[in-house]
Amino acid sequence: MGMKWKTYFGIVGIAFLLLLGYENNVFANLLNQGEQMKQGEEVEQVASLEESTYLNEEEDQMNDPLAQEFTVLNQTENMNSSNVNTDDPEERKDEGIVPTHLSIPAIDVDTQIEKVGILDNGQMGVPDSTKTVGWFEPSTKPGNTGNSVIAGHVDSYKGPAVFFYLKDLEKGDEVTVTDKDGEKRTYIVKALESYPYDNSPIEEIFGTTDKKRLNLITCTGTFDQETNNHLERLVVYTELKETEQQTKEKQVEKELEAPQKVEVNGTFVTWHAVRDKDVIGYRVYRSADGETFEKVASVSSFERKNYTDPDASEYTYYVTAVDENGNESEPSKKATAN
Amino acid sequence: MKKVFALTMAFLLLVPSVSMAQTNSGPTAKTPAADLRATLSQLLSNHFVYQTISMTKTYDGAKDVEAVNEALERNANDLKKAIESIYGKEGAEQFEKIFDSQYENTPGLAEAVKNGNKEAAEQAKQQLTQEFPKELGNFLSEATGGNLPADTAEKVLRAHEQDVQDVFNAYVDGDYKKAYQTFRTGFDRMFDISKALSGAIVTQNKEQFNHTMVDTKAADLRSSLNQLASEHFALATLEMQKGFDQAEDYDFVTWAEDQQTADFKSAIQSIYGEEAADQFEKVWQKDHIAAQSQVVAATLQDNKEEREQAEERLQDFSQEFGMFLSQATDGELPEDRAKETVWMHEEDVLMTFDHYVNEDYASTYKSFDKGFAYMYNVGETLSEAIVKQMPDTYKMMPSEMPDTGLGTSEQTGSTWIWVTFLSLALLSGGVLATRKRA
Repeated sequence: MGMKWKTYFGIVGIAFLLLLGYENNVFANLLNQGEQMKQGEEVEQVASLEESTYLNEEEDQMNDPLAQEFTVLNQTENMNSSNVNTDDPEERKDEGIVPTHLSIPAIDVDTQIEKVGILDNGQMGVPDSTKTVGWFEPSTKPGNTGNSVIAGHVDSYKGPAVFFYLKDLEKGDEVTVTDKDGEKRTYIVKALESYPYDNSPIEEIFGTTDKKRLNLITCTGTFDQETNNHLERLVVYTELKETEQQTKEKQVEKELEAPQKVEVNGTFVTWHAVRDKDVIGYRVYRSADGETFEKVASVSSFERKNYTDPDASEYTYYVTAVDENGNESEPSKKATAN
Repeated sequence: MKKVFALTMAFLLLVPSVSMAQTNSGPTAKTPAADLRATLSQLLSNHFVYQTISMTKTYDGAKDVEAVNEALERNANDLKKAIESIYGKEGAEQFEKIFDSQYENTPGLAEAVKNGNKEAAEQAKQQLTQEFPKELGNFLSEATGGNLPADTAEKVLRAHEQDVQDVFNAYVDGDYKKAYQTFRTGFDRMFDISKALSGAIVTQNKEQFNHTMVDTKAADLRSSLNQLASEHFALATLEMQKGFDQAEDYDFVTWAEDQQTADFKSAIQSIYGEEAADQFEKVWQKDHIAAQSQVVAATLQDNKEEREQAEERLQDFSQEFGMFLSQATDGELPEDRAKETVWMHEEDVLMTFDHYVNEDYASTYKSFDKGFAYMYNVGETLSEAIVKQMPDTYKMMPSEMPDTGLGTSEQTGSTWIWVTFLSLALLSGGVLATRKRA
């Protein structure tokens, strides 16, 4: 075989690879760092990231290592009623509003809401207009506990429709619904998920939940010319924004303080509790050489804030605080016996 | 001649017994004066504890507040009885009249603050920090025949009432660290008051107290140990209650407890040195403070096994600490007795806690009374063992006599006098006998 053949197979091979790459959008991905990916793919990626942390919360609690590490006492067991953590009673009573207007500033949606029900074929109805959205009237009223659902078109024969950019929403974006009297409920985007049109978790989207959710639905995925149908559905899960006080508490939680006044006296390593009701416990770390620390104890927040170590005088210690979400504070100042 | 002989014989019979008693005893923490000081310390410090928890529990609307107020009244009655034993019925009644206003105003003030009734609060405050100290100060000054000057008494009583209110105010403000810091200061002050008061009473009634003094080194040691032991009991039971309630101030009671351990340690250090103090601290913390907290954790989790485990640790502690005390005192405190003494204390702590958990509050504070008073036995037993172990350290040196010269040096000096006297008596007796024969 001569030189020519080698060149030939070489060129054909490269061309084949290039074509293959084009077909699979490799270049677009490489060039744009995934910014302008195909609708479905992007959403799927977001979805897979969110899934475990958002939707499967209850299952997570079952094998929550935190629950094994720290014991959180049942609040109702508290003798001191002043310590019982009560939610804002006003919020608790919120029966919700009948939404007439939807606004999603992040994607420039500002539209009327129609009421929709269940179609004869069992589907959730959608508004005739591609510029308005439909609130599934049998669902929960926004503001109340449960899943409230709003659907809108992604596109029409003429081009993009009201929820065309729904896929661009990001975690943390705000969604506001208003009733005819101007009363508002604002939700925060928690997750984006896409599902095959014929295999969506209906229970998850429409069923009961102890959360206050508003779920936005539109079509996504490839448009199937034969059935006139997008092959997937995009669901944007949002949750009612907390009151200002709750937000403030959340902020404190984010800046979880490290325990103060860590001291070693005799066999006791003691510290001052972190005054934050989300703290569920503390971790005690010790080191023989002052450099490599290992965790030696987990102390639940209801216990005495001390760790007993018969050889405490031989080690250096630090303590961290842990909150109910598993966040761990920075290490405290290191302490040794005096 | 016969007369002289009879007199000498009488002395011969009498003197040896007195003299022997003196030489055998050496310094002691158990004197009538030290007993009075300890009794007053116990009643007054318990009074302070009940005052503060009565106020804070009234403010919280706690379920056990009535039982605390009953305990406060019971304590006032005991104080009255102590006064009666010294000054008779009339004096006791006078005392009661003055004192009643105080133990009623104390929870009254808390109630007024709780309900935002400023006028009533101000009135109660005025009563407690102005009128009451003045009245009781005058009474005590008169009763002691001026040995306790009225203005001194008034000042210290006012400071005491201020302590109680400072604890309460800090508690209401949520400044728990300050609350328990002040608690410790206020608790300590009760021992100053009992010392001054018992000193004045003893000076006034020297005969009744057998010419013993309240401020000998041995009596001071006994008082220090009384204070440390009883404060520990108060903080331990309070810690367990607060832990069980998961009260906001729980961590601050444990903080105060740790401070208290440090104080106890330095007391041990001043007696037995650093090594013993370190050893004390380890034993004290490991299966004692930590185990008492484990009892609470076990109860909160309704975990019987853990509770048993915690009790076993407390048993271990009573063994270990009993051994420590016995060894430290060179066996002056026999090991078995020491172990038993320590375990009795643990039983008091457990019982007080269990009654609280079972919401039997009347029994809770009866147990508290008993357990708190018991610590004064511990202080007495332990101090006496230490004094017997180191008689030289606790001997009163004439050079340390106060300028006021309130009494005579009770032990050393008189021993010599008696010995001299005995020798003289024997000698003169011998001379007499010789003469008679001659």
